[in-house]
Amino acid sequence: MAGKILTVVETDAGRVRDYSYELVTLARELAQATGGTACAAVLGDDPVAAATQVAGHGVETVYAVKDPALAAYTADGWVAALKKLIADEGVEFVLFSHTPLGWDAAPRLSAVHGLPALTEVVAVEDGGKVWTRLMFNGKFQVKMSLEGTPAVVTVQKGAFAPCEEQGDGAVREVAAGLEPTALRQKYVETTSEPAEGKVDLASADIIVAGGRSLGSMEKFGIIKELADALGGQVGASRPVTDAGWLPHEHQVGSSGITVKPKLYIASGISGAIQHIVGMKQSGYIVAINKDKEAPIFEVADVCVIGDQFEIVPALTKAILEARGHG
Amino acid sequence: MKIVVCVKQVPDSDAALAVNADRTWIVDSGINFELNPYDRYALEEALRIKEAGEGEVVAVSLGPARAAQVLKTCLATGADRAIHLKDEAFQGGDPWANAQALAAAIRTVEPDLVLCGFQANDDTLAQTPVLLAEMLGMPHATGAMKIEKTDTGVRVARELEADRREVVDLPLPAVITVQTGINEPRYASIKGIMAAKRKEMKTPGPADLGIDPSQVGAAGSRLRFFDLAVPPKKEGGEVLTGSTEEIAVALVKRIRENTGVL
Repeated sequence: MAGKILTVVETDAGRVRDYSYELVTLARELAQATGGTACAAVLGDDPVAAATQVAGHGVETVYAVKDPALAAYTADGWVAALKKLIADEGVEFVLFSHTPLGWDAAPRLSAVHGLPALTEVVAVEDGGKVWTRLMFNGKFQVKMSLEGTPAVVTVQKGAFAPCEEQGDGAVREVAAGLEPTALRQKYVETTSEPAEGKVDLASADIIVAGGRSLGSMEKFGIIKELADALGGQVGASRPVTDAGWLPHEHQVGSSGITVKPKLYIASGISGAIQHIVGMKQSGYIVAINKDKEAPIFEVADVCVIGDQFEIVPALTKAILEARGHG
Repeated sequence: MKIVVCVKQVPDSDAALAVNADRTWIVDSGINFELNPYDRYALEEALRIKEAGEGEVVAVSLGPARAAQVLKTCLATGADRAIHLKDEAFQGGDPWANAQALAAAIRTVEPDLVLCGFQANDDTLAQTPVLLAEMLGMPHATGAMKIEKTDTGVRVARELEADRREVVDLPLPAVITVQTGINEPRYASIKGIMAAKRKEMKTPGPADLGIDPSQVGAAGSRLRFFDLAVPPKKEGGEVLTGSTEEIAVALVKRIRENTGVL
């Protein structure tokens, strides 16, 4: 008998995360291919309101898994509650987003079933028997198949379109039955890193981003000058902020900020998956890179293959002239 | 505190890579390898924790003979001893089989803490440490940007999206994966390189660790990888050519016509 396909929903302050709806699209695709049913789970101390939001999105059942110990995420809490749900409901596929929650919980959940997980997938075929993911910074893709069930999967953000509102699924409240003393991680708090400047990349219209290939904090100045000429914000790939050339709030990508400006200029950024996930929805993308094979060119609208130390200052000058400041 | 650091040898990030004949992995001859960048931060964190108190740092790696190089780097940088799982039976495994082998080796150390890089730069699967934690019966936390010793264990700040951190307390022993940027990794000194030559590097096989060879390597794998290929090129954008000045002018025109921000 075909089993259930369970989407593990993430919420932020009671609101369902946009990327959880991308998982529902995949769950519905798998349900169609396998003859199974698409379901979802919202875990929390008060999950019903969020579960109700998901119920109108083409899933048959949304399990509102309720327990005081699920008030905040812990790996042990999530894994114990989902393990019980999988056993009780006959779940064949468990879908997480590849997020700090997903990559923390999914491999543990697969491991308690004696299996590895299928991490950061971007596509599926053959009714969930074959999955595709990227490797080597996006230079290669590989297919994988897993022996055994349940298949616990994490899905790259943006790999599937979010599902539209449709249908009228049922919300079912279930008790997680957790033993609080068995949960080894204790949630303390969620903190925000103090912002060092006035940077709001998420709502910026123009972002000029630079990568490690700029070589130093001083040379990164050409990126700042172009951003200033355009009246935009400065973004960066992770190595730049790790090296301390810019505060972490400038980091664009899966572990930083997801941005959607009208114009995104990427200079000297090769386009590791972690970066592309954070910027590919930008309105218009200009990529400047000396390597014509750089993956960033695949998502760019305009590609310049050349030396950023020549192109970027020339572009800054041309922008200033076009704006009448030259 | 006794700390195990798991490290992996990965192709240099600038290496020119080609797909192997059976399309399961890359051709690993004729390219340079390096210590996985994430693991450098895990090693540094282990050394700092050790230096703040006392104890031992044991570097463990699974990989072919060439992977001894990254363990030498760890020893030269300050690790006290190393375990290299280089037996043929351990090679070619998936994260499950690799975690089985690592778990068997780590049990012989009886550590208080196991530190790993958040992911390996080659496959970026980001799951072996978590599987390992389950096999060792230890709690885990991934993506640490801060690790502090407490009276009862450790307090870990996990990196979330948009510059937020989730702070969680864990009892020891535990497995923690470390994000890049948590610290500034040191480099080996000449003195460290000399000292490393006298440090222990064990190379136990499956029998030494009391594990059945069918549980590790390719035989112990549950995840199969195939059809490694260059991804189909998406319809890329327009490529601008010409002199630097011509390109700059063309870019201004494109930006003006397509974005409304100029």
